[in-house]
Amino acid sequence: MGIVKEFVKGLWNDNPTFRLQIGLCPTLAVTSSALNGVGMGAATTFVLMCSSILISALRNVIPSKVRIPCFIVVIATFSTVVDLVMNALLPDLHRVLGIFIPLIVVNCILMGRAEAFASKRPVFDAAIDGLGMGIGFTWALTLIGTVRELLGAGSLFGYKLVSDTAATFGIFSVAPGAFITVGFLLAAMNMISTRLRKTSKEA
Amino acid sequence: MELFFIFIGAVLVNNFVLVRFLGLCPFMGVSKQTETALGMGAATTFVMVVTAAITWLLQWFVLEPFNLPFLQTPIFILVIAAMVQLVEMFLRKTSPNLYRALGIFLPLITTNCAVLGFSLIAVQSAYSFIQSLIFGLGAGVGFTLALVLMAGIREELKFADVPKPLAGTGIAFIIAGLLSLAFSGFAGLV
Amino acid sequence: MNESVRMIVVLAVIAMLSGGLLAGVYEWTSGIIAENELREMQSSVFQVLPGTVRIELLDTAPSTLVEDDPTTMREVEQTTTQIFVGYDDRDDVTGFAFVGEGAGYGGAIRILVGVDDNSGAILGLAVLSHSETPGLGSKIEEASFRNQFVGKTLDDPIAVGKDINALTGATVSSRAVTEAVRRGFADAAAAYERSR
Repeated sequence: MGIVKEFVKGLWNDNPTFRLQIGLCPTLAVTSSALNGVGMGAATTFVLMCSSILISALRNVIPSKVRIPCFIVVIATFSTVVDLVMNALLPDLHRVLGIFIPLIVVNCILMGRAEAFASKRPVFDAAIDGLGMGIGFTWALTLIGTVRELLGAGSLFGYKLVSDTAATFGIFSVAPGAFITVGFLLAAMNMISTRLRKTSKEA
Repeated sequence: MELFFIFIGAVLVNNFVLVRFLGLCPFMGVSKQTETALGMGAATTFVMVVTAAITWLLQWFVLEPFNLPFLQTPIFILVIAAMVQLVEMFLRKTSPNLYRALGIFLPLITTNCAVLGFSLIAVQSAYSFIQSLIFGLGAGVGFTLALVLMAGIREELKFADVPKPLAGTGIAFIIAGLLSLAFSGFAGLV
Repeated sequence: MNESVRMIVVLAVIAMLSGGLLAGVYEWTSGIIAENELREMQSSVFQVLPGTVRIELLDTAPSTLVEDDPTTMREVEQTTTQIFVGYDDRDDVTGFAFVGEGAGYGGAIRILVGVDDNSGAILGLAVLSHSETPGLGSKIEEASFRNQFVGKTLDDPIAVGKDINALTGATVSSRAVTEAVRRGFADAAAAYERSR
């Protein structure tokens, strides 16, 4: 039961993007299409899980005074691994995500989970927590990417849904559209949460 | 002239926060009051310029000659973390007033992706030493500008009647979108 | 154990492990990355030099020409870094392709231009990489813009406003591509002649 809870909290209640509002830079920067959102989410999930496991395993070895530099080195190492492997195996995706792959290292989600969770809990819990948070981040990015791709390019996961000549809302592909999309999605999340709370109270 | 273009480009045309999407966490988190926004911006700008100098030297005198590109991210982030610590200690000793004003923001700068992001961009663009410094200054000033503008608007927002689901961060994002739209008007300036 | 000694030891061990892991991964991936880049370059050359099935890198010392360009009001760094010779299926030379670089609006624009061996005219142009504004400068990738260069020879002016029309709202990007073609062209043609 405890494990399920640790996993599920990342998906909704403590969703890094919509609830905690951390890790915002890649959330806005790479979500011009749904596929980019999935790719970025997967890369972050990998780094998050690996670093959570390692930091949790080393939690009794690392002296608390130098824990922050240790976390940084661990996270930076896994970010670079993802950067190199993605460049080798998925060059097209790597080109689109560009600088935001090495920037996983300064994604507050990673430092946040390392400090608040992984450094205090056993390995298995930390892994589940990392996985849950990562998937929560991934679905949020995918959702934002889907909305922006639909409105901005009239396509979904690369498949054109409207004719080539049809006018699309190009603004959703560029910076201002990203902010506005996230703003309204946040509002939608809040509405759903309020509704859920009401029904659970009535029940 | 070219230095001027780099500066203007970093401040307005490719504003780090509103166009490049770097440094969004502090942008959303520390933009509730103009005064704190200004403090955060000043501290970040300072760290950026110092980091610009050190990462430039490391890149072209260590990483490049010894063919160690894969150590770039870990080394840069450690430099930034160390710089932030140093700046913190230095300020505490020399200028307690400034330290009191900026102190609480300093630790946050390490995880500000604008700092690491700008170091990586400066290296990618193969800027010279002076260009890197100016680029760092521009990035910092651009960050400060976005932060202060946002804080100014959010202060006024307290008196506005925002629809309930949008209240808080939701409306902040939409404002950021409008600011970003305004900044896209600078496209073509340089 | 002394606390500060322990701190240093732990940090050093972690840093060493991290360096070792990264060196290993780098060793493994760098070959694949280089291969990908080569394959990509190859397919781009095939695209700008129709009929080509095999390419060879022309061995030239990188010629660097740094000139101050008054038209774009900034220093345009112009280099022809790579020149490829293309061969068709009977191993006859089809022409050469060169990589040109221009300073665009959002950063460097890298292009690849294919030149016919017989006529000395441009056969095709491909944009290898750019970071121009989506919807404006990014239109340099569109065929209607790129095809303007087809058929141009060294005798043509190849200049925006003369024989090349700039994209609306993206003068800097258009100019960067045009300059990259014109300067790289003369340079590459000379190097190619020398090698024959």
